[in-house]
Amino acid sequence: MPVFLKMSIGITFIRPFARVLVPFTLNRKRRVLYSTILQRYVSSKIPAESSPKKENASPEQLELDGWKITMKSSVQEGVSTVSSAKDEDPVAATRELIEMWRLLGREVPEHISEEELKTIMECDSKSSKKKYLRYLYVKEKKKKANQIKKEMKAAAREKAIQDQLLETANQDKQQDFPFLRLWDRNMDIAMGWKGAQAMQFGQPLVFDMAYDDYMNPKELRYAVSQLLESEGCNRRDVDPFHIYFCNLKPESPFRRELIKRYGEKWNKLFLTATEKSHVDLFPKDNIIYLTADSPNIMTSFKHDKIYIVGSFVDKNIHPGASLAKAKRLKLATECFPLDKYLHWDTGTKNLTIDQVTRILLCLKNTGSWEEALKFVPKRKHSGYLDFSQHTQEFVNRMKKSKTINSFPKGSLNRYTQKK
Amino acid sequence: MNFCFTTIRSFPKLWKNNPYLGVGPGHSYNSFFLKDGYGIRNQQKLFSLKTVSPQNTKAINLTAKARYRRKEDEGSNKVSSEFPHLFAAGAAKKRSQMNPHNQDLALSPERNIVQLPSKPLNSEQWDKLKEDFKGKANFEDWIIIQLINYNSSIDVAKSLLAWVAAKNNGIVSYNLLVKYLCLCVFHKQTSEVFDVYEILKARYKTLETSASTLLIRGLIHSDRWREALLLLEDIKKVMIPSKKNYGDCIQGALLHQDVDIAWNLFQELLGHDLIPMMETLKAFFDFGKDLKDDQYSKKLLDLLLYLRNNQLYPGESFAHSIKTWFESVPGEQWKGQFTTIQKNGQCSGCGKTIESIHLSAEEYELLKRKILSDVIDGGDQYKKTTPQELKRFQNFVEHCPPFDVVVDGLNVAKMFPKVRESQVLLKVVSQLAKANLRVLVLGRKHMTVQSARWRKDEMEKVQKQASCFFADNISEDDPFLLYATLNSGNHCKFITKDLLRDHKACLPDAKTQRLFFKWQQGHQLAIINRFLGSKVIFQHIPSYDTVVQTTGDSWHIPYDEDLVERYSYEVPTKWLCLHRKI
Repeated sequence: MPVFLKMSIGITFIRPFARVLVPFTLNRKRRVLYSTILQRYVSSKIPAESSPKKENASPEQLELDGWKITMKSSVQEGVSTVSSAKDEDPVAATRELIEMWRLLGREVPEHISEEELKTIMECDSKSSKKKYLRYLYVKEKKKKANQIKKEMKAAAREKAIQDQLLETANQDKQQDFPFLRLWDRNMDIAMGWKGAQAMQFGQPLVFDMAYDDYMNPKELRYAVSQLLESEGCNRRDVDPFHIYFCNLKPESPFRRELIKRYGEKWNKLFLTATEKSHVDLFPKDNIIYLTADSPNIMTSFKHDKIYIVGSFVDKNIHPGASLAKAKRLKLATECFPLDKYLHWDTGTKNLTIDQVTRILLCLKNTGSWEEALKFVPKRKHSGYLDFSQHTQEFVNRMKKSKTINSFPKGSLNRYTQKK
Repeated sequence: MNFCFTTIRSFPKLWKNNPYLGVGPGHSYNSFFLKDGYGIRNQQKLFSLKTVSPQNTKAINLTAKARYRRKEDEGSNKVSSEFPHLFAAGAAKKRSQMNPHNQDLALSPERNIVQLPSKPLNSEQWDKLKEDFKGKANFEDWIIIQLINYNSSIDVAKSLLAWVAAKNNGIVSYNLLVKYLCLCVFHKQTSEVFDVYEILKARYKTLETSASTLLIRGLIHSDRWREALLLLEDIKKVMIPSKKNYGDCIQGALLHQDVDIAWNLFQELLGHDLIPMMETLKAFFDFGKDLKDDQYSKKLLDLLLYLRNNQLYPGESFAHSIKTWFESVPGEQWKGQFTTIQKNGQCSGCGKTIESIHLSAEEYELLKRKILSDVIDGGDQYKKTTPQELKRFQNFVEHCPPFDVVVDGLNVAKMFPKVRESQVLLKVVSQLAKANLRVLVLGRKHMTVQSARWRKDEMEKVQKQASCFFADNISEDDPFLLYATLNSGNHCKFITKDLLRDHKACLPDAKTQRLFFKWQQGHQLAIINRFLGSKVIFQHIPSYDTVVQTTGDSWHIPYDEDLVERYSYEVPTKWLCLHRKI
């Protein structure tokens, strides 16, 4: 039996709630409920105290319905009066709807700004609304988690400093160091020098920015993030490419987003951003357009060619958009030999821009496909095809039997290809 | 040796088609039942439930399916049903079952095994149950979801809420209330729905969509159904109500004899570009039985035309409702029967000829234009072809006289993996040429290059017997196939096994897509040979269009059977034939 029932009823409690209670009690066994209403109400106000038993005739029924009365009676702040005022405002209504969804445990954010609310209202369909809300929810969650992490780190740092203080107090000695601790800045400067060198003598790597029409704002953001990432890994490389951003129109969303992300640094980047097309800058014969749709498979990295990467994140389905671009300009196309080297499992053969850059950098430095294709996400394939191993064994066996010389070169190649 | 191989190969097929062996295509029924027996026993140990456990329902579905298959296979003495028509309802399902793709029906391991209560518990019992529960989720949320899943009685849920309220100062969270409401609505406990409605109204300023949906559903059966309309208005303030919301309100209005509101809501529903649920339409017909009103009858006929225009097909029970309504119309003496349509397009019931599958001249021109502009061109000619190639193709098509058959060379050639491509193509083409048909073969340039799969001499023979157009290796050949066929005229057919869904998807609107589909049904020849024998057999083309249709004193309405799974690119095979007795 519930323990929240109370016997003592103050008459003053009844009055404010009579309005709510009366219509309800009319439907039901009046007297029994009336008393229980009061009991429930009172009990809910004073939950700490408890009485052992109650005196009602139909305990089962009462026990089941009792909670409703409390629910009805504990009215929240001015309900009926407000509703008419907010009728006209769909924004407020949407905000409330989202709040109710949150109570229901749906994936919606707790706080929502006016601007975000406006974006929601502009969504065409219900599912796009839901998707956007989910995105905000995830973002909010991440932010919160980061905040907590940050606080924990700060606390840990505080502690470390304290410990260090104790230590330094113990051994307060001057030590001899050859360098000041300016590593980050030195690195930056060194990379800058390398970048400048690449601007003069480096092999061009072109990012074709002519895809803004194909992308929605989200995809564009992703594309710019990937470009930033690629530029970063190019900068850190031993022998960087000379990066070109071609077809980058002024006032294009691409440029705006890039400037937003790079900020001050945009004008100091060691790369060439140009409105011109790559066909205007380079001889057509030297250009190779990289696209996963290409029928030609890239066999080796050529140091005298200009590789073009489409800066295009394709979440929608635009099959063959980049191939069409290359066809229009009559450019040579190539794709990475993913199927030749990897057991492909899932996912598209389209790699992200930074992965492509890393693969190209690796090819440029080592020329080994196995090494370069390490940058293909592991989830997409289940490992390397072991034909190279086989050939290695084959060659070794041949060497042992000393018959290798009797094989013409072509036959060996054919063997490798067939595997 | 060869003989040996073929017999072995045909064995698995034999037992795949024979349901009496107890070995179904995907799963073995016998062993499944055995397993299931254990499953149920286990289940009863874990849950003291009267309701059907999920495994059990699956078993029922399977038996139903098995029964259906058996029924069909009995009738399969005729040749045609072994190869269901490419677009016949259930054909895709059957095709997928022919592949020995064993889907494991492995049951997900039951975590969180808490015995679901069958009777209301008191708070100590709930406390104890909560202690037993080990899981990440909130116990209260989890248990009420389980109660909903197993349709427990509302008293159990009520006792849960009472326990929660007692713990929580009499406050029950919104989430729990809505879940409880869901259970109440399912059990049609109207007074409980009222109570929850009062509580929600008292505690919360607004409701969100799921609660409103449930309330609407719960209220329409009661005298307070008009409040459901108010709830609908509330939803409209923030978003477009779902077709379910509208459907419920319409049903409520019809239940309470308010026909005008129902039709107004229906108009509103259509105005939002929503496709009404079949239940809603069925409700109109069911209600119409008791009504002798010309205006209303006319509107019902409009509904049937709506089905026609949108190529929607009623379900089995809806078809029954339509039949009953027609037969109840006084003074008109309609007679309805469920039939099929014969191959020549005659209704087996009344012998009338069903509408032809051919498009009207106007529709034909429209489709031709759209194929060229949206499928081949598509805003960027370089995507599927190049302008030079398009030009070459158009020249080619203009200068050649109309063809009788257009062959998708690559699709046809790759049909029999064991036979050389060029050989298959030659065989098909020469058979067509012998029948004195003007043949066009579409392919890619690589076909003309000598290789192990494409012998030059055979390709030369093909070129002698048919006109050929070879597209670039990286161009798509299907769009050319479509246009060449359309350009040749209405008599021209094309041969491919491809369902051409990707090309249909390129078309801009649903109406053109339906036109395309109709044309495709009427003009696509598919090869149904399993092996390349002496003669290539083509799928027969239906001469009639599967769509709701009328001649004034007769109606023919295709409908979906309940036990057949129809894919979106298939059409029903069963018809309701209605005609007036004279």
